[in-house]
Amino acid sequence: MATPKILRNATAENDLEQRADSEVAVVTERPWNVIVWNDPVTPMNVVVAVFKRVFGYSNNKCTHLMLTVHHEGRAVVWSGQRERAESYCVKLQVAGLQSSVERDA
Amino acid sequence: MPGKLFVRRRDGRVEVRLNDVGRAIVREVFAHVLAAERDPEHEWHLSLNPPINPSNDDDDPLSTLARQSETASNAELAVMTIQEQFLTDAEAWAWLCTLQVALRATAVVNGVLSDEKLESASPELLDDIRTLQQFLFDLSGCF
Repeated sequence: MATPKILRNATAENDLEQRADSEVAVVTERPWNVIVWNDPVTPMNVVVAVFKRVFGYSNNKCTHLMLTVHHEGRAVVWSGQRERAESYCVKLQVAGLQSSVERDA
Repeated sequence: MPGKLFVRRRDGRVEVRLNDVGRAIVREVFAHVLAAERDPEHEWHLSLNPPINPSNDDDDPLSTLARQSETASNAELAVMTIQEQFLTDAEAWAWLCTLQVALRATAVVNGVLSDEKLESASPELLDDIRTLQQFLFDLSGCF
């Protein structure tokens, strides 16, 4: 049986609303942060080189992040999905930086 | 002022300008990292395995395995290329990672976790740390 036009429109609107709801749910999920912690021995230019290699960030961004670590004791260097955050954290630890992941507050 | 210990050449390779003493130090450091990764009783072992997600009791085994594997691979590559005068980009990166892991392990094992602790470290320890920092400073300039 053919669906009446008005009912089809209503169904399409419901679909749109459901899709919009699920998109909102994804967007508002709290991301995972990759944190790099300060330490007293690692040379500053090593930190910049590791950030460039691991994330591919610009020299300016890497320097800014390194200075944030140095002055504030820590910096969020990447945010996003948990699996990718853990993968980046491992790469940083393999390169000898003190790093961890935490859920965004 | 002494010349740089590592220089990036136009062909992309990294030239190692360490003398025999420098190479002996680096060889010992690389061997320590390799041994520490394999031996849970090694004094550096714990510092090579920090928590990834401190809010969890245990980290994801796949992540810890990946870290262990990559750290060991870097150290093995560094050991294998210890006598080379020219390093490829990947080999030079393995050297940098292994030297930095060794520097961090040296600091952690000796409780050098703050600027104050670094300033009050023994002359021998300070000498070890400064030597590794000098290697790393020059090598990181190649990246």
